[in-house]
Amino acid sequence: MYKTITIKAGSGGWGGPLTITPTETCNKVLSVTGGGIHPVAQAIADMTGAEVVDGFKTTLPDDQIIVAVVDCGGTARCGVYPKKGIYTVNVEPVGKAGPLAKYITPEIYVSAVKESDIVVSDYKGNAAGSPASAKAAEPAKQPGAPKTKEQAKREIAEANAGKQENIVVRIGKVVGRFVNIFFQAGRDTMEMVIGTILPFMAFTATLLGIISASGLGNVIANTISPICSTLPGMVIIAFICGIPILSPVLGPGAVIAQVVGTLLGAEFALGHIPPQYALPALFAIDAQVGCDFVPVGLSLGEAEPETIEYGVPAVLFERLITGPLAVLIAFAFSIGMY
Amino acid sequence: MDAISNIANAFIGLFSAGGETFVGWVTGIIPTVICLMTAVNALIGIIGVERVERFCQKITKYTILRYTLLPILADIFLTNPSQYTFGRFVKEEHKAAFYDASVSFCHPITGLFPHANAGELFVYTGIAAGIQQLGLSTGGLAVRYFIVGVIVILIRGILCERIFAALSGKKSA
Repeated sequence: MYKTITIKAGSGGWGGPLTITPTETCNKVLSVTGGGIHPVAQAIADMTGAEVVDGFKTTLPDDQIIVAVVDCGGTARCGVYPKKGIYTVNVEPVGKAGPLAKYITPEIYVSAVKESDIVVSDYKGNAAGSPASAKAAEPAKQPGAPKTKEQAKREIAEANAGKQENIVVRIGKVVGRFVNIFFQAGRDTMEMVIGTILPFMAFTATLLGIISASGLGNVIANTISPICSTLPGMVIIAFICGIPILSPVLGPGAVIAQVVGTLLGAEFALGHIPPQYALPALFAIDAQVGCDFVPVGLSLGEAEPETIEYGVPAVLFERLITGPLAVLIAFAFSIGMY
Repeated sequence: MDAISNIANAFIGLFSAGGETFVGWVTGIIPTVICLMTAVNALIGIIGVERVERFCQKITKYTILRYTLLPILADIFLTNPSQYTFGRFVKEEHKAAFYDASVSFCHPITGLFPHANAGELFVYTGIAAGIQQLGLSTGGLAVRYFIVGVIVILIRGILCERIFAALSGKKSA
C-alpha cells in the first residue's frame, strides 16, 4: 500500500505544497540530480513506498514517474518536468524561472525542499498518480508491503556504487550552489525593482513633477516648510500622525509617509528646510508606521484573539508618546551632522 | 493658436518635470539598490533563515534583545511583511510590543538595507535625495537613522509591553 505525502517549499523556496500518492503503475521517484540519488528523492521514496530511480542512469516512461527530484538553478530541468505534467521537486531555491517558467506552477512544482519538508499526509482529496499518468487506466490500489528500509538502502548503495563523489564533483557542486544562490538573489532583486520600486518611482515622480511645475510647490514651501524647520513644529507633526484615530488611516503602505518624505526632500534640496532637520523629519512623518497593520501583524506572529484585542490600543496609544519622543531623540542625534 | 500651443507646452511641462525627477532616481538610486539588494539576498540565502530562527528563539527572553536585535534580524532576514512571523517566538504578552518594535524599524533599516522594505523606500530615500542634491553625504544620515531607530524601537517595545500589561490586567481583574 502506498502512502500519501505532502511536500512543502523549504526556506526561500517557492510553490507547492504538493500532495502525492503513488499508484501501482505510477510509482517511481526520478532523481535527476548529479552524483547519485539525492537524499530528498530517497526520503520521498521511503515515505511513500515508491521506488527511487537515478535519472542519469535509467530513463523511464513519463507515466510511471510520480515525482521528479531535480537540483536545477533555474534554467532547464526545473521546467522540463512540469511541462510534461510531472510533479517536480527542486532542491534549489528557484521559483518560476527559466525559459519554461510558464509551466512552473505551485500546483505541480515546489522548491528548496529538504528532507524535513516532506511529511506523511492524511489528505484524501488529491488524485492519485501524476497528472501525466491520469490518462492511464484507473489504477486499482492493492495492498502490498512497501519495501523495508534495509532493502531500500541496499538498492541505493547499488545505485550509487561506482559513483562515489570525488573532490572535483564536490567542489563543482559547492560552486554551483553558490552561483545559484547569487543568481536567484539577482532575480529576486529585479522582480522587486520592476514590480515595486519602479512603479512607486513613476507614481511619485509624476506627482512631484505636477506639484513643482504647477506652482503648488511654492504653496507647500510657504506653508509646510516653516513648520518643518522648527523642533516644536516637528514634534507637533509627529503628535498629529500618532493620534490613535488618525494613525491607522495614515498608515497603509506608508504611501503618505513616502509622498511627504519626497515632498520634504524637495524642500531640503531647495534649502527651504535646513539639512540638520532631516533626521527628526524622518521620525516626524512616520509616527504612524504600521498602525494600520497591527491586527494582521499580530496574527502573523500567531497571537491569540485576546492579545490582538489589547495589543491594538496598546500600540496606538503608545505611539502618541513615542512619536514626538522619537523626534526629540533624533534631534539630539543630529547634532554634529551637516 | 499661440494660446493653444502655450497650454500644450504647459501641459507637457507638468510631466517633463516628473520625467526628469524619475530619470534622476532611476540613475541615482536604482543601481546601488540593485547591487546591495542582490548581495544581501545572496547572503541570506547562504546563511539560511532556519539558522537565524534558531538563534532568535534563544534571545527572546532578554528584554533588551527582544526589542532590538530580534526585530533587526527579523527585518533583515525575513523583510517586511514576513518579519512579523517571528512574533511566534515571543510570549503572548510581548507580541504586541514585538510587533511595534519590528514595524517601527522597517523604515530606519532602509537607509542601510533597502532590501528589507523595498516597497517603502521613499520615506528615507525621499528625504535623502533632497540632502544629496545639496551636495551633502547621506552616509551619516543613514547610519544615524539606523541608530536612532534602534533606540526608538527599544523604547516603543518596553512602553508597549507596559501599556499592554496595564490594559489586559485591568480588564481581567
